[in-house]
Amino acid sequence: MGKLESRNIEKYFIHDGKPLKTLDGIDLNVEDGEFVCIVGPSGCGKTTFLRIAAGLEKPDEGQILLDNQPLNNTGPDRIMVFQEGALFPWLNVQDNVEYGLKIAGIPKEKRNQISHRYLDMMQLTQFATSYTYQLSTGMKQRVAIARALVMEPDVLLMDEPFAALDAQTRDLLLVEMQLIWQKTKKTIVFVTHNVAEAVMLGTRVLVFTHRPGRIKKEFKIDYKRPRISEDENLLPYQQKILAELRPEVKK
Amino acid sequence: MKPSLLAKKIGFYAMIIIVWQGLDSADIWPDNIFPSPVDVVEDLAYGVADASLFYGIGTSILRLIIGLTIAIAGGLVLGIFMARVETVNQTIGSLVLGLQSIPSIAWVPLAILWFGLTDTGIIFVVVIGAIFAVTINTYTGVKNINPSYIEAARNMGAKEGQLITSILIPAAFPFIISGFKQGWAFAWRGVIGAELLFSFLGLGFLLNVGRQLNDVSQVIAIMIVIMGIGILVDGVVFKKIEDKVMTRWGLR
Repeated sequence: MGKLESRNIEKYFIHDGKPLKTLDGIDLNVEDGEFVCIVGPSGCGKTTFLRIAAGLEKPDEGQILLDNQPLNNTGPDRIMVFQEGALFPWLNVQDNVEYGLKIAGIPKEKRNQISHRYLDMMQLTQFATSYTYQLSTGMKQRVAIARALVMEPDVLLMDEPFAALDAQTRDLLLVEMQLIWQKTKKTIVFVTHNVAEAVMLGTRVLVFTHRPGRIKKEFKIDYKRPRISEDENLLPYQQKILAELRPEVKK
Repeated sequence: MKPSLLAKKIGFYAMIIIVWQGLDSADIWPDNIFPSPVDVVEDLAYGVADASLFYGIGTSILRLIIGLTIAIAGGLVLGIFMARVETVNQTIGSLVLGLQSIPSIAWVPLAILWFGLTDTGIIFVVVIGAIFAVTINTYTGVKNINPSYIEAARNMGAKEGQLITSILIPAAFPFIISGFKQGWAFAWRGVIGAELLFSFLGLGFLLNVGRQLNDVSQVIAIMIVIMGIGILVDGVVFKKIEDKVMTRWGLR
């Protein structure tokens, strides 16, 4: 299961010696198997929220619950995919993907079996023995996603994973991401500043306000999948979301 | 056609030998003060023939390897502790910086008093000479690790112990390898220096024997051997490791 709840999450950062409110009472229920996208202006705390959900940062107020259990640490039930992938350059692709399994003490044969399945899913099989310096940015993000998926987490937390990609590679990965979600039925929370991306991926899109971050509005995106970026029927969704987002960006 | 790097090098060293031989032939200084290249080569050949040279090299290198191994192990542990525990850095860290400014040869009197004229004394000097370079580089390396590596690993379930072996050491390796390289350089100087004063086998001892016998060509021959080993370790062993690390870590 992967029901993620955020109850009244507040977070302050110290800025110039004074506390600066970054998150202002985030209340959110993400149902099992939902694909929730968070958009917001830069500095709105959307990444901070994701990091708190991952247990990489502690909230000053409030609680994160997974399947009704309060959480206070990081763990492989909620795997984070970082903006720049955070792949380990000293390991080849396969060893990167198997890292979490190895840490968990899973024997080599079983590890290989699992990693092959996900390397295949992400079309990485022929790159299994490559090192990260030999990979394109798009390939690296594929590896990062495969590395997260092998952990079979309840929740996948993705922090602008496609921000650094060129448009063609991004479009391709946006479609693949939907297929993976449909296949694995994972709960996904996906942070981005790209509205088109959010509309393509999300079952629900949340708009965050300018700092301190609050949920300003949410949009349900009921539309067939896989959605492609050229689909004009997605434009009205984008326009509605942009109308909410634009005043926040200008603040 | 541009001469190759190898050709340039060979030309350069050939020139040195020619000038050297020329100075010798000019008879400005007596032979026992300024030997010819031939004298030095003859001396090396003697050393090879009676195996004393190999024995000297072997003894020095063995001390170096033992000392450097201890220094590397100790320096890694100390450096990681300093990087991960702020109190350790604030206390031991300042002492490490201070100790590093002491030339390893300055530890020799203490080593002789503590350990006598023994192998242990020489190895002590080598360890002390090399350990702080390894420590400081390891510390810097761990401090400079991309925090996402550590967060990703913790997120995937790594405990602090697993973090050290699976993330901290490999991620800091480009720095750690420079620590090894500096450590080796200090260790090699330390071995030779200590052997000179301990006068207890090894290349430094052979240098001292040359001085006592007024045998300038032996002194020069041993110095060339010391330099040769230095070039070999720096230019072959470390260069290979560094090239590989730099490429793989995406640093070039």
